[in-house]
Amino acid sequence: MENLGALCLILAFCFALYSIAAALIGKWKQRPLLALSAERAVYSIWLLVTIASGILVYSLITGDYRMTYVAAHSNKSMPVAYKFAAWWGGQEGSLLFWAFLLSSYSAVVVFTNRNKFRDMMPYVISVLMATMTFFLILVTFVAHPFEVAAVGKGVTDLGDGQGLNPLLQYWTMVIHPPMLYLGYVGFVVPFAFAVGSLITKQPGEAWIHTTRRWTIITWAFQTTGILLGAGWAYAVLGWGGYWGWDPVENASLLPWITATAFLHSVMMQEKKGMMKVWNAVLVSGTFFLCIFGTFLTRSGIVSSVHAFSAGPIGTYFVVFMALGIAGTVFLILDRLQYLKSDQQLESVISRESSFLFNNLILLASCFAVLWGTLFPVISEAVTGEKISVDAPFFNRVNIPIGLFLLFLTGVGPLIAWRRSSLESLKKSFLWPTVGALTLLVALAALGMRHPYAMISFSLCLFVTLTVAGEFYKGARQISSKQNIGFIPAVIDLTYRNTRRYGGYMVHMGVVVMFIGFSGAAFNLDSTQEVTPGSTMKIGRYDLKVAEIEKGANDNYQWGRLIVEVSSGGSVIGTLSPERRLYTAMRQPQPTSEVAIRRRPNEDLYLNFAGMSADNSKAVIQAYVFPLVSWVWAGYWVLLFGTVICLIPSKHRLVYAKTEVVGVTRQAAQVKH
Amino acid sequence: MAAAALAQTSSELISPDVRRVGSRLACLCGSCKNTVGDCPMLQCHYSSPAREKIAKLQNMGASDDNIVGEFVRDTGRQALSSPPTEGFHLLAWLTPFAAILMGLGGVFIYMRRVRPNQKPVAEIDPAVLDHYRDRIEKDMAKLD
Repeated sequence: MENLGALCLILAFCFALYSIAAALIGKWKQRPLLALSAERAVYSIWLLVTIASGILVYSLITGDYRMTYVAAHSNKSMPVAYKFAAWWGGQEGSLLFWAFLLSSYSAVVVFTNRNKFRDMMPYVISVLMATMTFFLILVTFVAHPFEVAAVGKGVTDLGDGQGLNPLLQYWTMVIHPPMLYLGYVGFVVPFAFAVGSLITKQPGEAWIHTTRRWTIITWAFQTTGILLGAGWAYAVLGWGGYWGWDPVENASLLPWITATAFLHSVMMQEKKGMMKVWNAVLVSGTFFLCIFGTFLTRSGIVSSVHAFSAGPIGTYFVVFMALGIAGTVFLILDRLQYLKSDQQLESVISRESSFLFNNLILLASCFAVLWGTLFPVISEAVTGEKISVDAPFFNRVNIPIGLFLLFLTGVGPLIAWRRSSLESLKKSFLWPTVGALTLLVALAALGMRHPYAMISFSLCLFVTLTVAGEFYKGARQISSKQNIGFIPAVIDLTYRNTRRYGGYMVHMGVVVMFIGFSGAAFNLDSTQEVTPGSTMKIGRYDLKVAEIEKGANDNYQWGRLIVEVSSGGSVIGTLSPERRLYTAMRQPQPTSEVAIRRRPNEDLYLNFAGMSADNSKAVIQAYVFPLVSWVWAGYWVLLFGTVICLIPSKHRLVYAKTEVVGVTRQAAQVKH
Repeated sequence: MAAAALAQTSSELISPDVRRVGSRLACLCGSCKNTVGDCPMLQCHYSSPAREKIAKLQNMGASDDNIVGEFVRDTGRQALSSPPTEGFHLLAWLTPFAAILMGLGGVFIYMRRVRPNQKPVAEIDPAVLDHYRDRIEKDMAKLD
């Protein structure tokens, strides 16, 4: 079986090389059949990589412990879902998973564009297959998933495998990495089209139209992956944090930020024919940040709890990125003359300018995260001194930037395309500003003294009022014209321009998330040793340990606390935090299963950290996290908005390229 | 074995004073990016003894700066949770904001480049204006 898997990967590697050569030669020599064979090779690669992946998954599920990867990441007592998840639980398997997703995406791209972009497709295929070749080199020659440790006729009983890290044996871990990878890998496609458009000197809107929907879907996957990771950290690691500024977490955030910037600036290219160079840079940057994120996780260049073991693999990534970046920079510089703006910026106070500032601040936050992540390495290289760059640094630098971004989220929709008059700005900004300032004063009067939280809540209201105002104004017009109710009018309004109003919903999702982030300023925590029958207190809660239960199954042994939760003298529920010891692993490992009482205003979070040294008291870490549920709720709003953006509008929108042909007599008189 | 594993954790109470100083120090256990003040692992091989040391020095009357200095003497400046604000490491703090300033400069240069010359715009012929108004009316009617 393993030989067949390895053979499939070698064949896929050969086919990938063939596909690149056939696509390019077929294009240059005008041989359509050769170019077509390149497309067929893409399908073959998908089939071969799928077979190889299937063999690995089958081996993980059936427990073929002769294979090093299976022995290291699976064991007999693991549930099947986690055995399947072990596919991406280690270095070799996750690289194969990358290759599988890329081959699948490539096949979909080739199939959906089989009758389109005939000029561009050979280059698109070449870029996709060059990336594919790189990952196939890794899984074929460097990090082989089919390596066999026990060979020979005498080998009959191989015992059990090590098993997946118990921290990864949690439901979100089954879907978090695939979502993140779907995001990472998906950004290859817009990049491939961007390169194709540059090579064929068609930097207009064609590739933008083709890849916009793709980019939105990929962005949604990346968002989902990041949020699932945050949810996993919150529910599994036992300290209630959902973002720790770990290098690998940061690596997933970087391409998400640049992709967000792209999704905004792409509107400038679609509507105004502007920012073509910038969009090419953003798409390329997003792709290389995806590769960089994969490199960070695997190279050992920075220490991270999420990182796979370090090995020679980092060098391969560096070479691939260096060649790719050099080629892309050359291509963009060489095609600058085709990337000139069609239109001119008419006013500093315009939607166009707000997009420029939005992009600037997004890129600044991306740079700040990247800089903080790499600064320990840079510092050691320059000064020879090791330093730490931890959460306090990232919070201090990124919170002001994040708040400014939130502000721009509210400002953007209020400014008209082309130019806005001061009068219209005053009219648009008046009520949102009054609302935000009133809330700021009210919070101060109520005794809140956390400046960032106060500013954040006020800005959240500011953005909410601007978005609500946009919906209200549009829906009121439709309601009065068509004589329908307000809610049907809102639905009709959204359907008329799904991108615009879906985008506003995405902004609202961000607002809801910021409310959740701001709640962290008021977190409470307490760690105490509690004997059964006694009580500890945190915030408004009294926690009484009623009982300590113990038990075991094939996979782990557990101790569980039954904690009675009271507030204001009355019992409001029972929580059962658990401590597990995964005995099925070769090296048993303890983990915590926290218990959470989730409410919109706050979560009560209990971690059973173990027993005291004399085994008489339970050690409880109790936390109160105000508003944290809003972070998860915000994600659902954001996802809903993203789905709305993907629905075609009632009317196909054509963005006319406008120009000023003159001013009316009345306006001319006012001007003079 | 399981009982031992479940019973191996010793509790410790973290006072606000220890937490305040601990927030200036990085947890160097190698598996988290927390500070000594908020590292949640009760048996963390770095943060637990570090907190005990902070409490001990506080009981001896040491100031916050002296305690932090003591850690830096022992472990080097990687003991700090954020880069120092001096010498080369000042760059860690300044560079992101310098990048924003440079970006702002870039945006303004871009705006100047792509803005049209501010020559006066000619007064429009009423007939042309009527033509545009008609078109708007027709487009609006289509929307209804």
